Amino acid sequence: MSKLYRSREGTITAVDTKTQLTTLGSETAPGPLLVPASAKSLKAIVAAFSSDNAVASDGAYLVRLEGPGLPEGPEVLAVGASGVPVATGGVSTAAATRFELDIPVTPSNEILIFGENVGEDTGSVAIGVTLEFLK
Amino acid sequence: MSRTITVEGDVNSVDTRVLLTSQGSVSAPSLVVPSGMTKIKKIIAVAAIDGLADDGGVTFFIRLGGNAVLGGEQSLVHHGAGSQSVQAGSDAAPSVGIPFVLDDADIDVSPSDTISIAAEMAGVDPGDATVAVTLVYGK
Repeated sequence: MSKLYRSREGTITAVDTKTQLTTLGSETAPGPLLVPASAKSLKAIVAAFSSDNAVASDGAYLVRLEGPGLPEGPEVLAVGASGVPVATGGVSTAAATRFELDIPVTPSNEILIFGENVGEDTGSVAIGVTLEFLK
Repeated sequence: MSRTITVEGDVNSVDTRVLLTSQGSVSAPSLVVPSGMTKIKKIIAVAAIDGLADDGGVTFFIRLGGNAVLGGEQSLVHHGAGSQSVQAGSDAAPSVGIPFVLDDADIDVSPSDTISIAAEMAGVDPGDATVAVTLVYGK
């Protein structure tokens, strides 16, 4: 057995709004994220995020997984949260987190990935998600 | 038994693929997968920004490709970073990027073939960044 890794990223700019992650840096139109033909399950996701710290507020971040590649239906994970007391300066860096799962998948079908800022609006939030498939 | 390869580079523009080919004082380390190694067992990635751009927010990811990587290009997010310019006359605290470690990465590779390791940051430019990546090979 081995694993395959597929990623998407995007920027959330409004609170309580599903934001589909459709790009991958220099690839502005990588196309649908398909479950690899040999995949047996979604073994984990890896998520990284960062706010621009432009608003004195606090909020949390969700990743929503949807689409025909998930035969059991959508999944939602809380992947992090952040806040700042002032909107007048700061720099933050945070390592990604791996969340172990074991979700059935339908090979060759699409998984849609969304990011969402809940709670208070924390400004612009960059978020990236890697799907780790077990084959 | 395991072997390692570490590469690093400057990532100073968003949405730009940067091949990591150097290793500090070693300008061109070998990117050939060592003989007998058939897996990437572990990935370690670090990243930090200088935060010199206002309203910056990015995620960092790496791309593993080349002839050595079986199953197509593998992409992996590893950090997020953001920046907000400070008021005149004030300072911002340093931002430390602790390593992201992916244990049991379990990526198939072809020994004696060449791997390419690229880094990108995606989002809104936070200033300059440095990224370093270690791959731990095994079988």
